[in-house]
Amino acid sequence: MASSDLKSAALLDQMKTHFSTDAGKALVKKIGLVYQINLAPKKMGFNEEIYVVDLKKGEVTKGPYEGGKPDATFSFTDEDFYKIATGKMNPQIAFMRGKMKVKGSLSAAQKFTPDIFPKPSKM
Amino acid sequence: MAMRDLVTGGAACAVPGSSSSSNPLGALANALIGSSSQKERLQEIPTSSLNPSGNNLYPGVVDPMSALPGSELEHPLHQQNKGSEFLNGFHAANDNRLAEVWDGIQNPQVPHFPPGQPQLQPELNGPPQRVLSSFLHSFVNSSHGGVPFGPTQLPVLGLSEGDKRCIRDRSSIMARHIFADRSEDFINGQVNALLSSLEIDNQGMARGPMPGRYPELEQYWGESQAMPPRPHGPDGWADEFSQQRLGQADPNAWALSFERQHGAGGWASEFEHEQRQMTSVDRMAGTNIPSLAAMEQTRMLAHTLAQNNNPKFQNSKFLQFVSKMSRGELTIEDNQVKPASGDWANEFQQQYNAGPSNWADQFAHEQVSTAPDRWADDFANERVHHGPVDEQWVNEFSKLEVNDWADEFGRQVGEGILGDDTADNWASAYDEYVNEQTVLKQKSDSSRGVYVFSDLNPYVGHPEPLKEGQELFRKGLLSEAVLALEAEVLKNPDNAEGWRLLGVAHAENDDDQQAIASMMRAHEADPTNLEVLLALGVSHTNELEQQAALKYLYSWLRNHPVYGKIAPPELSDSLYYADVARTFNEAAQMSPEDADVHIVLGVLYNLSREYDRAIESFQTALKLKPRDYSLWNKLGATQANSVQSADAIYAYQHALDLKPNYVRAWANMGISYANQGMYEDSIRYYVRALAMNPKADNAWQYLRISLSCASREDMMAACDSRNLDVLQKEFPL
Repeated sequence: MASSDLKSAALLDQMKTHFSTDAGKALVKKIGLVYQINLAPKKMGFNEEIYVVDLKKGEVTKGPYEGGKPDATFSFTDEDFYKIATGKMNPQIAFMRGKMKVKGSLSAAQKFTPDIFPKPSKM
Repeated sequence: MAMRDLVTGGAACAVPGSSSSSNPLGALANALIGSSSQKERLQEIPTSSLNPSGNNLYPGVVDPMSALPGSELEHPLHQQNKGSEFLNGFHAANDNRLAEVWDGIQNPQVPHFPPGQPQLQPELNGPPQRVLSSFLHSFVNSSHGGVPFGPTQLPVLGLSEGDKRCIRDRSSIMARHIFADRSEDFINGQVNALLSSLEIDNQGMARGPMPGRYPELEQYWGESQAMPPRPHGPDGWADEFSQQRLGQADPNAWALSFERQHGAGGWASEFEHEQRQMTSVDRMAGTNIPSLAAMEQTRMLAHTLAQNNNPKFQNSKFLQFVSKMSRGELTIEDNQVKPASGDWANEFQQQYNAGPSNWADQFAHEQVSTAPDRWADDFANERVHHGPVDEQWVNEFSKLEVNDWADEFGRQVGEGILGDDTADNWASAYDEYVNEQTVLKQKSDSSRGVYVFSDLNPYVGHPEPLKEGQELFRKGLLSEAVLALEAEVLKNPDNAEGWRLLGVAHAENDDDQQAIASMMRAHEADPTNLEVLLALGVSHTNELEQQAALKYLYSWLRNHPVYGKIAPPELSDSLYYADVARTFNEAAQMSPEDADVHIVLGVLYNLSREYDRAIESFQTALKLKPRDYSLWNKLGATQANSVQSADAIYAYQHALDLKPNYVRAWANMGISYANQGMYEDSIRYYVRALAMNPKADNAWQYLRISLSCASREDMMAACDSRNLDVLQKEFPL
């Protein structure tokens, strides 16, 4: 996924590899849901890149979810998703401010927290 | 004397650091800092980025941490007597220090002194901060020595107005405690001696609210003095104290008045700032939820503000707003928004052009949301009350999924999540939001490349700040070095080396934003400096700013004496990653023994996430430069990002062996443990990093996440209030 210019692509790449570790597998067992994430580079809803974080199978793929309906679909800007995944922004606040849009099952959406994302390290 | 016992910790019932009801002072402090809102930016307490390393007066004190050479931190909690706690209150007054001061006083540790005599003679040479701290020490010690404190001649300390105000007020209060068994005159005399030595005008800076504070304290003081000594000394005092409370909000009221008096000047300027206004409002909002007591507070507050003759205050819409709040024209109660409050939200919006107009709209239109930390519940409620979300998908959702949602909502109601403290939770969600705004504002400054200087810099006025900074850096005292270097660049804004080292110090302190800002200035001062270019490349890579990183890394090549010629200039205009990488590889072939080329290549490969190649490059470089701690960290970070966490930890360990105070490496360690699911371990490493640099915001966020993953919600409050003492005690390494 080095082709993407999104910041979040780096995070999602890390997530992908993360699934092959014990911690990642534990995550799959714990959550077992499929999230679709629509990421817009600048303005929400425009030029979206779509990723699917599949916590049932333990993989991250690019493009809309083909295997049925995702349990929850989120829309963010690149910057905001990065902030949420690294814990800089609270999903509740993000939602209240309209920085995060959700479709789908509420209980599934509730489990979408910074916990599930591995964090980037700094050189 | 009951008061004295309480202060010196003779009471067995005083529980250190807790805010139980038998510890009113501790409760006051905690109320002052902790209860309603976490990172208050009222800034009534001047900020300082100093850490307690200023308390180096007792070098004989053995500190477990000093096993690490040049350890930056001497645990304030473990070793110091209350005098040092008092000093802590002056330095690093950013968050919670006042609480620590009070808590320190509460600690039932018999204040101990080194085997020699307590120093009565302050150390008058040296950096302003040392002078100040030793001077204050001697003030405190004079109480023990029984020797009245006399005015002394001090060198220029470079205290700002805010500092002076702070010192004046705190010393007045502390003096009353320390000299509890002396007469009023004696106390005033001591305080005046202290203040005149520091060239602080005791009365000249008094403002409107000040007189309001003293009478209150005088009243308590007088009454407690007048009471006959009870058999259970400190308990008795506490009882008396609680009897005299005005309503149940007493600690808050005292705290409020204290803050008011500190903050009066600050608030005037803050009225112009939307964020700070919101914070003030937030405090209002936060404390108004328990209605009556809160109204009392706002009434007092409005009263105090009204007393201030400053026309700004009088005419301020804020004052009017607060008055309205206190008169109950505008209230927020539980889920009900009073009829006036719809207007209030609009009025608020108009008055302050509040950024979050969305928020104000939402608020005006919808009921206050409910459950704690469950944004989804907000979501549900918003649905109930037809929030302003008007996109199509909402309608779609409501048509298709109403049943699911309704069940969800019903279940949650049944589970009693919508409880009594719903409004509090809303308030705390709002608190977080407001805090975020404030933090964002600061961040936006740095992300625009504007360097944010620390307040209360004791090195300003130092004769040789650059040398001092370099020395401190060498010793591993990163935060101190930052201050000294800031003093240098304030003096000489074109000093490239000063800015460069400042940037390096920030990066090692795990603050990429400030690192970038400093490095940009260094770059301005010296556009061809290779180290600066590399550092900028690294920081931008860390921030995942690909284009910027590429630009700087390529610039490194162009400006290099040897490789400059193989780097075609036209490439600089339209940088494609592939071209840059290829050119770098050519350079590497030209001189395989040059570690630097490999380092830059490694950073480049990180950009493109070709981690295996990056690792190879760094390992090649490490063979040539095995003692470069920053290189070990780069290797570790690369490995960590490619999910080879065990290897990463090994590399970080090497880095830390070479540089024990490498905050970034400590934080990275924490990340690697957390990514492996080893949350308890990660917490310890984060706490260690934060102890060295309490300003490392990233680490605070990660700590919070790890606490939640490790199910340590009990420590969440400490984390939110950035209470390092508690965290360090609980999670030592």
